[in-house]
Amino acid sequence: MTRASAALAAGAVLALCAVSCSAPDKEASVVLLPVPDDPTISFTVWFNVGSQDDPPGKEGLAHLTGELLAQGSTTENSYEEILRRLYPLASEYGIRVDKEMTTLTGRTHRDNVEAYYRLFTAAFLKPAFDDSDFQRVQSDAINFLENTLRYASDEELAKAALHALVFAGTSYAHPPVGTVQGLKSITLEDVKKFYREHYLGANAVVALGGGFAGDLAQRFEGALAELPSGEPKAAAGLIDVEPIERTKVIVVSKAGADASISFGFPVEVRRGEKDFYALWIANSWLGEHRNSSSHLYQVIREARGLNYGDYSYIEAFPEGGRRSMPPVNVARNEQMFEIWIRTLPNEQSRFALRAALRELASLVQNGMTAEQFELTRSFLEKYVLHFAETTRERLGYAVDDRFYGIDGEGHLARFRQMMRELTVEDVNAAIRKHLRHDRLKIAIVTGDAEGLSAGLGKDTPSPVSYPSPKSDQILAEDREIAVFPLAIDPDAISIVAVEDVFERAGF
Amino acid sequence: MKRVLGFAFLALAAFVAAGAVPGDESAMSKIFPYPTHVETLPNGLKVILVPMSSNGLVSYWSIVRTGSRDEFEPGHTGFAHFFEHMMFRGTERFPQEVYSQILTEMGADANAFTSADLTAYHLSVTSDDLERVMEIEADRFQNLAYAESVFETEAGAVYGEYRKNRMSPLFTIYEAIYEEAFKKHTYGHTTMGYERDIKAMPDMFDYSKSFFARYYRPDNVVLLVVGDIDVASTMASIRKHYGEWQPGYVAPEIPREPAQTAERRIEVSYAGQSLPFLWVGYKVDAFDPANRPRVAVDLLAELAFGETSEIHKKLVLDEQVVEFLAAGADPSRDPKLLDIYTRVKDPSKVDYVLAEIDRTVARYRETPPDGDRLADLRSRLKYAFLMNLDTPDHVASSLDRFVSATGGIEAVDELFLAYDSVTAEEVRAAAATYLSPERRTIAVLRGQK
Repeated sequence: MTRASAALAAGAVLALCAVSCSAPDKEASVVLLPVPDDPTISFTVWFNVGSQDDPPGKEGLAHLTGELLAQGSTTENSYEEILRRLYPLASEYGIRVDKEMTTLTGRTHRDNVEAYYRLFTAAFLKPAFDDSDFQRVQSDAINFLENTLRYASDEELAKAALHALVFAGTSYAHPPVGTVQGLKSITLEDVKKFYREHYLGANAVVALGGGFAGDLAQRFEGALAELPSGEPKAAAGLIDVEPIERTKVIVVSKAGADASISFGFPVEVRRGEKDFYALWIANSWLGEHRNSSSHLYQVIREARGLNYGDYSYIEAFPEGGRRSMPPVNVARNEQMFEIWIRTLPNEQSRFALRAALRELASLVQNGMTAEQFELTRSFLEKYVLHFAETTRERLGYAVDDRFYGIDGEGHLARFRQMMRELTVEDVNAAIRKHLRHDRLKIAIVTGDAEGLSAGLGKDTPSPVSYPSPKSDQILAEDREIAVFPLAIDPDAISIVAVEDVFERAGF
Repeated sequence: MKRVLGFAFLALAAFVAAGAVPGDESAMSKIFPYPTHVETLPNGLKVILVPMSSNGLVSYWSIVRTGSRDEFEPGHTGFAHFFEHMMFRGTERFPQEVYSQILTEMGADANAFTSADLTAYHLSVTSDDLERVMEIEADRFQNLAYAESVFETEAGAVYGEYRKNRMSPLFTIYEAIYEEAFKKHTYGHTTMGYERDIKAMPDMFDYSKSFFARYYRPDNVVLLVVGDIDVASTMASIRKHYGEWQPGYVAPEIPREPAQTAERRIEVSYAGQSLPFLWVGYKVDAFDPANRPRVAVDLLAELAFGETSEIHKKLVLDEQVVEFLAAGADPSRDPKLLDIYTRVKDPSKVDYVLAEIDRTVARYRETPPDGDRLADLRSRLKYAFLMNLDTPDHVASSLDRFVSATGGIEAVDELFLAYDSVTAEEVRAAAATYLSPERRTIAVLRGQK
């Protein structure tokens, strides 16, 4: 190991030891990450509730409840007054409602910690449930679905559609923000009831990181006693994901759109397990997010210039277009393997889909070579250092460790350890066990729904041409890609109009 | 809290980055917590080192003071950004595959971006890889070499980037209002460039050689290195790797924008469904911390239209007729716009929202802002700055726009001092000067329903 990376690893271990040393009891309701020379303090409250707890027909209830805490008045201050008080601190707080977890997070300078602490804790302890605030967050959520997701971000729309298709029929299917009709049906009374049922002291964990001092940690943990009391509703439990018997395609028809494609299938591997880290190596080689080391990127973008990038995932990665490193606080018990092909011309979309599938098939059939494995694991051993450079991010990982039940040093330290321990045989065994290139679910947003669907169903060749000369090797590969079998039954392809997507649960 | 817009080109730049240290060895100021070392090599390459404790991480930025502003030749919009892509295509010594492999071996978090005034190449690595980084970065800035076929392939990837952007209504109105506001100056086109020029890029191989020869010169580049570094040995390595780089920057002939004499207004159509966007842009001076009225514009934008303003309370919180309201002026190299933009929830209320903006403008032209609010804003600027300095990469990205606008970081400290001394009356006077009808352009975007 190099000097600098050793120093960083030691830092990470110490910090995470502080977590487990401070809270050795897995059930304890506090996570601490002291960083004495950090002049800021990061706060998180994690509530064990998420969009999977939305009642059927009221998809979006968890989201609206969370947003009303983060963007609403408290019984102490109006929302306007909260903004006024936060303003000179240059601090905010925000909520992330995901499938299974809800986290309220914020950060402030230690000069301002007392003023901030009062505002932050009041947000989740003393919500006013003001009707005007409710109408604002409700209309923002509906506008997000009706305008932004449907019309202004085709790549995110394709990913959300894929998610809905893979988890169809389960409480995981709808986006965390909800559905249009679900959001419209929600009342302020629904929100109050949801808060009383889920925002319980027994359902929450507080986390504190950075340069905090004095009795702040004790007070923060003690604040949980002010939440509603009672026994949490039984956890929703693991959902029953329908096995995929044959490849299914959803084509979202949107006039004038280029093609944005995502495809994948559920994977039975969780963070913390040995296979997870083995699969991470394979996935990184195939499609490291926003990185030119991604093999898919090299094949589709670098060699052929078809689009801006092509990546793959084994864990949820929302807002991929806006971040370069993995997000925190989107921990989920159900994950999927996913390939993201960025926007490209409709006439090249089947070629790009085939190219990605062909690379996936090659990986599944041949595994990684020793050379690819060595390069990728040495890359990841250092690259993981960028996952959590800030206290706030490290605190996020510490909370996620609690979610996944990862004891001791935590996921990031285990990650580096596994990069040193795993063998190419481990990785190839994990590939064989967890990955495949058939029985997929595919989501495509396109302005040529009919033409694309017909081409997919008939498996007609999809040759591609370039404005510039290409090498003989590329052209020879292209001939194979153009006829790579997709094996999609015509009746497994559905077309849905963009204005109907996420109008209600299911397609 | 407020919805974060994921558009780098709309960042309220002046409000998240400020403060640094002028001068040489270990100069310290009240604001900036780290020492700095600034040195210019004989060939004109300016080097700014910021040592800080960072768990072994180093952020290495090469800032070229060329962006879409420099695309003054007709038919070449978008070229600075396109050229940024070409910089990853290798040299004779480190061909593309080798360069990529080295980055992979280092586990580098590496990327680049282009704005109106700069092109920045940045890598975050561990400090024991710093020497290697200097070697490969110095090499590609001096010896870039690519084949014509590779050049043409990359043009396809850039077109793909345009495709993903053009579906955004905010990008669409941004593109339109700048084109309307700047008839001569190159701020009239976005960093992406016009679609017709992007389409023609594969044919510009020869031009790309000239672009590299004119702009990628040491006298037009600033190296910014932040993190766990030793100043003496880092400087020695930089001299070794960059010392032979030949100067020869040829300044572009950027046309001046004639003074605007009347209000302009455009309607922008958007092919998808969208709530209307309203954008009002007032011509303001170039960034200059010694220009007190221009410094006051930064404060004015926040006081008049920020999260604690009266119009925010009225339109966002009470009446809920807009989804958000944002305002700010880039710290730009040439005169640009103070942008005020919003998304209107009810399409019939666009004129009403514009009238409320007018009312706000009239009020600030007449009356100085409240002193307590000005004090709150100063506090906000200070803490936003301090809290953003937590990693080497964050420090570097707090400084880059000042480097691009002024060529150094001295301006940051001056700006911060100016924020603290500009008076309420100076804010009012800035409103009276800049927020006048003949300086503004109004754009309204409406989607298909």
